[in-house]
Amino acid sequence: MSYCLNSFLAGCGFGVDEPEDMEYNEMEQEKNWVIEVQDVSYTYDGDGKKALDGLNLNIRRGAKVAFMGGNGSGKSTLFLCLNGIRRPDTGRICIDGKPIRYTRKGLLEVRGKVGIVFQEPDDQLFSASVYEEISFGILNLGTDEETARKEVERVIEELEITPFQDRPAHALSGGQKKQVAIADILVMHPEVMILDEPAAALDPKHTGKVEEIVESLTAKGITVLMATHDMDYAYDWADEIVLMHEGKVIRQGTPFEVCTDRTALEQASLELPAVVRIYERLKEKGRIPGDIAPPGNVDELIAYL
Amino acid sequence: MLLIDRLSCQSKLRYINASVKLMYAVLTLALCVLSRSAAVAALVFAVNGILTAGKGGIPLSLYIKLLTVPLAFLIAGTAAVTINISGEPLDAFAVPVGEWYITGSSAGICQAFRLCATALGAVTCLYFLSLNTVMTDILAACRKLHMPPLLLELTLLIYRFIFVLLKTGTAIMTSQQSRLGNRDFRTRVRSFGLMGSSLFILAVKRSNALYDAMEARCYDGSLKVLSREYPARRRQFAFVILFELFLGGVWFWCG
Repeated sequence: MSYCLNSFLAGCGFGVDEPEDMEYNEMEQEKNWVIEVQDVSYTYDGDGKKALDGLNLNIRRGAKVAFMGGNGSGKSTLFLCLNGIRRPDTGRICIDGKPIRYTRKGLLEVRGKVGIVFQEPDDQLFSASVYEEISFGILNLGTDEETARKEVERVIEELEITPFQDRPAHALSGGQKKQVAIADILVMHPEVMILDEPAAALDPKHTGKVEEIVESLTAKGITVLMATHDMDYAYDWADEIVLMHEGKVIRQGTPFEVCTDRTALEQASLELPAVVRIYERLKEKGRIPGDIAPPGNVDELIAYL
Repeated sequence: MLLIDRLSCQSKLRYINASVKLMYAVLTLALCVLSRSAAVAALVFAVNGILTAGKGGIPLSLYIKLLTVPLAFLIAGTAAVTINISGEPLDAFAVPVGEWYITGSSAGICQAFRLCATALGAVTCLYFLSLNTVMTDILAACRKLHMPPLLLELTLLIYRFIFVLLKTGTAIMTSQQSRLGNRDFRTRVRSFGLMGSSLFILAVKRSNALYDAMEARCYDGSLKVLSREYPARRRQFAFVILFELFLGGVWFWCG
């Protein structure tokens, strides 16, 4: 369905300021897409290969979407495009139904709505002071100092940063830096939060902590896009999985739909999640009835037995 | 430097308003240097020792160790004032070397002594500031004083990235060592050069990534940040002013 809509939209032309915006804005409101990506291509300077190659994608408001695909499949480039850091060579991106305008004001608006937590916290944290670090984004949005101060303190409390808020950034552990990196964005009250491999290089305790924070984001109504290589986690957590390969979306759907598409999984060099493998084997052997709904996670599978 | 950074985080005087500490350190330093008086310098030296090692809780042994750092400069500097090579012997001492004398005057020795005291006193002022105030607080205080924003932003970024690059450099060095990168002098020099060049490339990459990340948070060319505030107490200001007046008095009476 979404693909039909996309090709129709693509037919409408993909200039930046087309007059027919109004018409399909109404359609989008119905669909409630928070992000629409239409035929987007992007090539890095001095690189012959397209990082994004005619990519199409729609994201429902409030969804939990996992982005999967090998290194260099274009996830990070796509994220930078969604936030207006990279401007697509062709195609267009709509946030909240409005195409991104690449003007100072337009970009400010987009970046206030879509926040990115980068994979490497050391690339994101620019100040040695946690408090200064978190206050940066919200001040840039033009919030007055008093409100900003309150918000910063609220986020510090909420993400349980208080115990290490007075430590310099270089004395924080990887997990603590990640918490600060998420606070950086959360303080800006984004509609969409992009997390680029948030659990990379974290120990299980901090991974759990990050997962907890991610759940709380969804509870607040924030749309969460997450790049991850952890198939089991993606299957359990996501409403939708997007498989990317060579700058294209090769499959988008519910975790079960995507995980049963062997060809797409193979193309993206991904393994089936353990739950699905066991579920299919059990079904084959007749240990569980064939008409039973696929389990969403390990606990559900155990309940079937 | 890492030691000073770590100590400043642990100091018990850390949460005292940075402006008060900055004012104290700068005024005391100015008086100490301007007066050139041994009495003022001795007083400053003692008070800063009590403040930093006593009130601030910086281990005394470390404090003394840090004070020996500028000693080499002091010795070199005072030697130039006290020791002359001259054809005529001066009044304090004279060691004949052939036709010449290695000699010094009592006025020179007196001056060297004053110089030494003043320099040590001045150093303790700077140590007081840097051992009891974290860098970001000093920057925040400077921001309040309307120092040029460009300078402050650069300092802020440089301070943060010293540690990031240090970490990366250490990691590269460790990995070189684990592959026998420092077997002999030749390989050591080569490894060091390789580390330098890859560190440079990494620094450029990092700065690009950082710029992207800052842009993603609506960076518009000026680094706007808020710092945590520790309210300044009137009493603290009063103490500082009284102390400075007292120092002025000592300067006046003892010269």
